[in-house]
Amino acid sequence: MSQPVLQLLGVKVAYGKVQALHGVELAVEEGEVVALLGANGAGKSTTLRAISGLLRPTAGDILFNGKSIAGWAPDAILRAGIAHCPEERHVWGEMSVDENLRLGAFLCNDRKEVDRRMELAFERFPRLRERARQLAGTLSGGEQQMLAIARALMAEPKLLLLDEPSLGLSPKISDEVMGVVAELQGQGVTILLVEQNVHRALRVASKAYVLETGKVVASDTAEGLLGNREVLRAYLGA
Amino acid sequence: MKLERTLILAFLAVAALLPFVMRSEYLLHIGVLVLFSLVLASSFNLIVGYVGEFPLGHMAFFGIGAYTAALLSTSFALPIWLTLPLGAVVSAIFGFAIGGITLRLRGPFFVIITLCFAEVLRLIANNWVTLTNGPMGISGIRKPGWIEAADALTQKTGFYYIALLLAAIALYVAYRFVYSNIGRAAVAIRENRFVSQSVGISPFYYALVTFILAAAMAGTAGAFYAHYISFVGPEVFGFAFMATTIIIVLLGGKGTLVGPIVGSLVAVLLEEYLRDFKELRLSIFGVIVMAVVIFMPNGIMGFIARRREVRDGGAQPSAMALTGREVADARGA
Repeated sequence: MSQPVLQLLGVKVAYGKVQALHGVELAVEEGEVVALLGANGAGKSTTLRAISGLLRPTAGDILFNGKSIAGWAPDAILRAGIAHCPEERHVWGEMSVDENLRLGAFLCNDRKEVDRRMELAFERFPRLRERARQLAGTLSGGEQQMLAIARALMAEPKLLLLDEPSLGLSPKISDEVMGVVAELQGQGVTILLVEQNVHRALRVASKAYVLETGKVVASDTAEGLLGNREVLRAYLGA
Repeated sequence: MKLERTLILAFLAVAALLPFVMRSEYLLHIGVLVLFSLVLASSFNLIVGYVGEFPLGHMAFFGIGAYTAALLSTSFALPIWLTLPLGAVVSAIFGFAIGGITLRLRGPFFVIITLCFAEVLRLIANNWVTLTNGPMGISGIRKPGWIEAADALTQKTGFYYIALLLAAIALYVAYRFVYSNIGRAAVAIRENRFVSQSVGISPFYYALVTFILAAAMAGTAGAFYAHYISFVGPEVFGFAFMATTIIIVLLGGKGTLVGPIVGSLVAVLLEEYLRDFKELRLSIFGVIVMAVVIFMPNGIMGFIARRREVRDGGAQPSAMALTGREVADARGA
């Protein structure tokens, strides 16, 4: 088996004195979509923040293509190829869609290259092209989520961390967003996906980890997990 | 962007022509005050308006620039065209040191710690008598030779044009800053720190760069002040300059390039006009400022920009009249 793109080895993270992650272990293979499931406060978002460098692990190691990136600054990790699309579809509401996207390629100083990526983003998300001049704050929730994903992709990451992309969206829009996730996988983007909705996540993911109070309590293929009623009921309320 | 540039250039052009019609020492003095306040306010605005933090001790850099110019001028007889840039450099070095410490803090902590630095510098200026001459201050700072030789009116005119040059440089630097990658990064951080980090912007680094730039600007203003008044005492670190600068930036509109221009004009002229009210002056001033904060929280320029948006966005007024954040709030509610 080839080396995983991303590997977490006993990662511990604390907010002040409160321990949030108690030694998380997981691996993501190239080209796959891996779902990170669990209840509120289980540590899903914290795990993503630790990977993208927004939080510093107190113990353990994070390997990206076999190289340790634990403790790196967020911009260095992004440069290495991991982009984080934060939850609650944060966009710069008072900037235009165009400006939001361009800022996504902040680390790229080549104007032509940025233009090329803009074109790619508009091809992926035609709705954003229509709204390029509009303030991001005036977009609908689904459009804002698309913008947030497109902006993260402007860095052309090898691995995309996607934090609850369907949060607060209607079921129909959520399905659309998941469709986008599946499409991205088809285009060769590796994705680590955090989701509350188990069934929706497992439709696009090939593998899933279940987190509970900062630890991985189960991990299996999507089919395996869907067939495991005990785990579903105990940890995922499904 | 276009409008901003036009307004700035128009202001500078009018300011350049003014001395030809305004042949009065008093009026020229007011002009110098406006231009000098403008430099100070632009510097303060970089941090308040673009980094989004409130450095209550910003006058530390003004004072450092003033003392640097005073000492270099009296001890080494350096001319003004050297003391101005050196004042900027020394202030920038202090900006690097103080910013490096304080920018790790945010909100009220940042406010208090920057204020502490200004206060510490004031105490040093007051007590390190061998260097600063203590409360007596440093007097007899030389005016440029060509100004000293001239009559009173020409002297004022000379200083007016030096101040205008500094104001033009300050506005140019601020303009370039805002429309550079650093300015864009600073605004991105101000608007959403979390997302900024997710696209690879390092908040601390860009805040520090802005802080150093603002410190250098304030230092230049201080150096100019030293030569203009030809006296520098510990009160340059005091709160009076700070208060005026805060008023100017809030009045004009923080986070806009034209705001400090409008603010300086209104505040300085108002302050002069209210001189007749003697003791009541500051109270009246305070009431006006409170009214501005309550009724025009984004200052005069913010108010105007908003009116323009309402007018231009006629097609979809409900959405365009609101700022993005208000829309997001409304949606979240």
